Amino acid sequence: MHTPSIELSHVTLIREGRTIFDDLTLSLNESRIGIIGFNGSGKSSLIRLLNGLLTADSGTISINGKDPSKGPAAMSTEVGFVFQNPDHQLIFPTVLEELIFGLQNQGKDKSESEAEALALLKEHDRLDWKDLPVHSLSEGQKQLICIFSVLLLKPKVIVFDEPFSALDLPTRYQLQKVISTLSQQVIMISHELDGFDGFDRLVWLGDQGVVKDGPTEEVITDYKQHAVKTAES
Amino acid sequence: MSLYLAQISWLHRLPAGLKLFCLAIATVLLYPVKEVGIISLAVAVTLGIYASLGRSGLAQLKLLKPLFWMMLAIFALQYWTMGLAEAWILLGRMLVLILLANAISMTTRMDEMNAVFQFLLTPLRWLGVQTQRIAFALSLLIRFVPVLVSFMHALLAAWRARGGQRRYWQIIAPLVVQALRMSDQVAEAVAARGGIPKIKN
Ligand SMILES: Nc1ncnc2c1ncn2[C@@H]1O[C@H](COP(=O)(O)OP(=O)(O)OP(=O)(O)O)[C@@H](O)[C@H]1O
Ligand SMILES: [Mg+2]
Repeated sequence: MHTPSIELSHVTLIREGRTIFDDLTLSLNESRIGIIGFNGSGKSSLIRLLNGLLTADSGTISINGKDPSKGPAAMSTEVGFVFQNPDHQLIFPTVLEELIFGLQNQGKDKSESEAEALALLKEHDRLDWKDLPVHSLSEGQKQLICIFSVLLLKPKVIVFDEPFSALDLPTRYQLQKVISTLSQQVIMISHELDGFDGFDRLVWLGDQGVVKDGPTEEVITDYKQHAVKTAES
Repeated sequence: MSLYLAQISWLHRLPAGLKLFCLAIATVLLYPVKEVGIISLAVAVTLGIYASLGRSGLAQLKLLKPLFWMMLAIFALQYWTMGLAEAWILLGRMLVLILLANAISMTTRMDEMNAVFQFLLTPLRWLGVQTQRIAFALSLLIRFVPVLVSFMHALLAAWRARGGQRRYWQIIAPLVVQALRMSDQVAEAVAARGGIPKIKN
């Protein structure tokens, strides 16, 4: 499997006067990368930089040679973005409309888009979902629709911002399985540390940028210790 | 306004343009009506449409619940100033139009609605306006009305849960904040799938 090359070099990001990243340099090339850190440490900001929802104040970012500062519309074929809350991502009343939205934005006509969306649903044994109203689906099913709608755009990397936060345990395991079978590179933010089973690498963000970066188990051990200390102090 | 009905009915199959056209005609025709009988008939036909959509259709009538007190007040006021017949005519007309508009929104897919808006905006397109965007915005608006209503209910519940009194207008500020935050989130979701580009922030 081909993993894209994501390079951030000397990136500075300031949001409302607060410096979130100061001269951050990072390559993200492993097939499964997790991002952890306390609330407000900049995890969501980091992945928003990757698809152009945020633009760096200085420095350069390149994803397979493409520059995300050109805007998210141009990046939608490189980076698929699954938001934390499906209710914010799902715009359309019915499943099929939701799925074809991105394809139509890529310039495909309606029948072509629908054919592709139906083929994907069929491949996942979910053809019967096509006319369902999105609001009638469970949280886990909604999350799956979000993933499908992103898969259709054939991005090379899929980014998840806390995908498990609204899910019960069985649904979470299901989603974890779906994520693990994706052929794309995955970058995932989560506060549930056992969601990172099988991940190659973990990046721990803190106030000063990257605190620790390395093999999953190692980073988790240190992160837990640090969290306990922080809670006590 | 309510949400899209899952079970496909005859009303789903009618073209969106025809449905909106009928609504417009009904609005124009009902406006000058002064006969109790005609209004009553219109109300009956409207309820008949809901009944024909099956149980889930009838269940959508619960949309009237939050409007009940307002309608009662209007009815009472009208009854007091103009008499029973006038009051019923006004109320009936309101009921019919609200229910018909709702019936359309719960049986029409957003892309069909979008196509109709685009068509209606054609004159603007001749003037060089990007009508796809306006049509998309209008469809989004309709799509998110129920969400806004649910925000309002949640805020009201939180307000009452903490012993909030009758000064309900105090939830307006948080409601606006929630609506703005949601519009940001929706804009991001649209942009992330290659839709209307987001303005740099
Ligand atoms: N919409 C926004 N506008 C301006 N500043 C923001 C916005 N969202 C977040 N920030 C700022 O950016 C900082 C980093 O936020 P970010 O959302 O990236 O953190 P996070 O690590 O994802 O946190 P969490 O775990 O709570 O999701 C926050 O401290 C906040 O001050
Ligand atoms: Mg976050």
